[in-house]
Amino acid sequence: MNITGKLEKDLSAIKKILPAEDILTFDFVSERGLAFALVFADPITDKELLGEQVVRPLLHYEGKASAEEVGKNITSPERRSEKELKKLSEEILAGNPVLFFEGMDEAIIVGTKKVFVRAVAEPSTDVAVKGPREGFIEDVKINTSLVRRRLKTPELRIEFLNVGRRSMTYVAVCWLEGTSVQETVEKIKEKLQKIDIDIVPDSSYLTHFLAERPYSLLKQVGTTEKPDIFCAKIAEGRVGILVDGSPIALTLPYLLVEDFQSSEDYFVPPYRATFTRILRLLSLVVAIYLPAFYIAGQLFKLQLFPVKLLLTIAGSIRDIPFSPSLEMLLVLFVLEVLNEASIRMPKYVGMALSVVGALVLGETAVSAGFVSTPAIIIIAFSGIGLYAVPNLIEVTSVIRLAMLLVAGSVGTYGIILLTAFLLLYLVTAENFGTPVLAPFSPLVGRDLRDSLVKYNLGSLETRPRTLKSKNKRRLGHE
Amino acid sequence: MNKISTRQLYFFLACIAPIGKLIVMPARLARYAGNDLWIPAAIQYLVQSAVIFCVLLLSARGETLFELLKNTFGKIVAKILMVVFALFLLYASLLPLLEQKLFVQGVFYDTLPSLIAFSPFFLFSAYLCAKPLRAQGRAWDLLGPIAITALAGVFVFSGTNADFAAILPVGASGAKGILSGTAFTMSWFFDPVLLLLFLGKIEYKKGTAYKGALFYLLGGAAVIFFLIMFYGIFEGTAINQLFAFTKTSKYYTAITVLGRIDYVFIFALALALLFYCALPLQASVECCLQAFGRKKYLPTVLSVCFNALLLLLALLLDYHFGDATDAISQTVFWIFPIFTVVIPPLCLLLRRNRRESA
Repeated sequence: MNITGKLEKDLSAIKKILPAEDILTFDFVSERGLAFALVFADPITDKELLGEQVVRPLLHYEGKASAEEVGKNITSPERRSEKELKKLSEEILAGNPVLFFEGMDEAIIVGTKKVFVRAVAEPSTDVAVKGPREGFIEDVKINTSLVRRRLKTPELRIEFLNVGRRSMTYVAVCWLEGTSVQETVEKIKEKLQKIDIDIVPDSSYLTHFLAERPYSLLKQVGTTEKPDIFCAKIAEGRVGILVDGSPIALTLPYLLVEDFQSSEDYFVPPYRATFTRILRLLSLVVAIYLPAFYIAGQLFKLQLFPVKLLLTIAGSIRDIPFSPSLEMLLVLFVLEVLNEASIRMPKYVGMALSVVGALVLGETAVSAGFVSTPAIIIIAFSGIGLYAVPNLIEVTSVIRLAMLLVAGSVGTYGIILLTAFLLLYLVTAENFGTPVLAPFSPLVGRDLRDSLVKYNLGSLETRPRTLKSKNKRRLGHE
Repeated sequence: MNKISTRQLYFFLACIAPIGKLIVMPARLARYAGNDLWIPAAIQYLVQSAVIFCVLLLSARGETLFELLKNTFGKIVAKILMVVFALFLLYASLLPLLEQKLFVQGVFYDTLPSLIAFSPFFLFSAYLCAKPLRAQGRAWDLLGPIAITALAGVFVFSGTNADFAAILPVGASGAKGILSGTAFTMSWFFDPVLLLLFLGKIEYKKGTAYKGALFYLLGGAAVIFFLIMFYGIFEGTAINQLFAFTKTSKYYTAITVLGRIDYVFIFALALALLFYCALPLQASVECCLQAFGRKKYLPTVLSVCFNALLLLLALLLDYHFGDATDAISQTVFWIFPIFTVVIPPLCLLLRRNRRESA
């Protein structure tokens, strides 16, 4: 439905659509007698700015009743006209006041939104000793400004979409024209436009809809809280997604190797970066497999342990009333409970929780003979090891549990079979046409230079081939 | 990325294919050829690499085996032939599966477990068989380097204890020993038939055929080196040493201090072996799919049926591994040369699609 130009009628129409009490109307008449009405959402409109940029200049307005003429007198840089009532109501709800006036079948939308945002700060989940410390915040406009500041190129495209039937959340799709694959961009936009959901409280809601295998255990969308990483990924040819209300940005296509890399790797010497990346992989492998092999060794194949270690283990498990697998599952359960509780608990209780966890549960459980010391050491190391790759923690903790279960029931062969299953699953998984396990499978030799190993910057002259970017070179000219 | 690259193919020929020949075959060769056990293996590898050269030449045409058969014999005969190939591959898959079962029971457990411990393999195999052959190619990209590292580890750990002079004098077992060794180990060499199913799915480049044959020979050289080392370690008792690659490294001096660290390599090889053992089954599913089309549920149905059949056979032959191996490798071994040596080169005579070639 469009507006009529009859002020009273238009105002009652918009009030019918927006009957809430916090939607206010402010009527005023110019010196020449032209009647205006501003409709705005009270809590999210900057009234001071509205008065300064809209009401004050229009009080002295002496021109015609045309949107163009009136618009020229409004001093806000953000303004545009619109006829459709539904769109106008959406703008009001987004915090942009709408100016109606008598005799004109168009209204003017003014950008005087009041934004409550926290300051740009270092994200707690992605701390870097070296390198930029800025993190995304909950405001999509500020986040796009952080991106724009780093990519001052006309090739950077940012397209805004509204997702969520009720929340009408702004979602910004960012890509570099000519560098990102256009089909991927279109496919992502199409997927976003097709989302039919009530509200989008966080970007993680979108990952489910963007995933090519929605029920997969594996992560399928890259995430970051840091603008420097986000821009670097876009520059490699990926497509980025920023969601209003979420500090976590999404990137696609996602490769598994991304989670073994950190922003700091690019600010330290390459040999150090290579070392830490391999360390992350090794700690993850040990964290997943160590508890499983410990159980399998005890239950099915004692030869897995060196003789002296076997004697030590035998001494410590002698009086334990549980089977090795049950014992390990018990300790793992306690670890997961402590982990979950410590995240949710207030910080001042956290200290007490650590004491209870480490001393009361750990110490006394061993001295009471419920669990053995090796089991606690192994699970403790495993718990720490998983956090070496924090972005994969949801997946790896499930895999560790699955490994424990097969090790307790089928033994070492079960562990190898489950590994083969995982490997097969990973090598066949694709994300927007990109194999998740690239550049290892399929092997892309040149991309290995920035995978688990890290060459110096001078050697990374091309963008990852896996991402199929048309603009291949990133050092020097095409 | 939808085809199997030449690199993946070379990984398979040089690194994955040899692993299947390191479990029971060394002991069998030692039984027939004694200290000349490497000679039958060398003969097999020379013949097989020539056949592989032919098959890879054929892959330059870019057509699948079924398409080639259809162009030459018509659709119905081609379908029948594909079913025959599928049956042969099912038969060929039996020996590696039984071997693997024994290997699992002997190496992964202190006490002999029931068949239930081995049966989850069929879950994996069923999952793999329902996937296109491209999945194997991608897996080889990861398994190739793993297998190379593991084989190198086993060789290093084993080499120090081997008396390489044990294979002398060459020819001591006589022509009969060498010939029977060659004949009775044919059932371990069916790699060219597997490659026939990869026709039309390989990214053929100039030189792929001879490079493929060379990589297969390279894998063969590794097997021959292992056989010599194996005999050098066990000599007279070699005929009793099943699961050869798990045994040769256990005498390494560091093991007494560090424990069986060689298990790291053995487990890595076992991982690659899983994919190799499931390959004939996957190839037999592929035969049927090429013949009858990749309909929606057909890959899953065929994969489940074939694996269930093999599980049933493994159950029936649970206590008769020796008899089954003897039957396959000594009594009806003649099937293997027909399918692996005679038929693949004859496939070079198959017609191309006339319209395409025109």
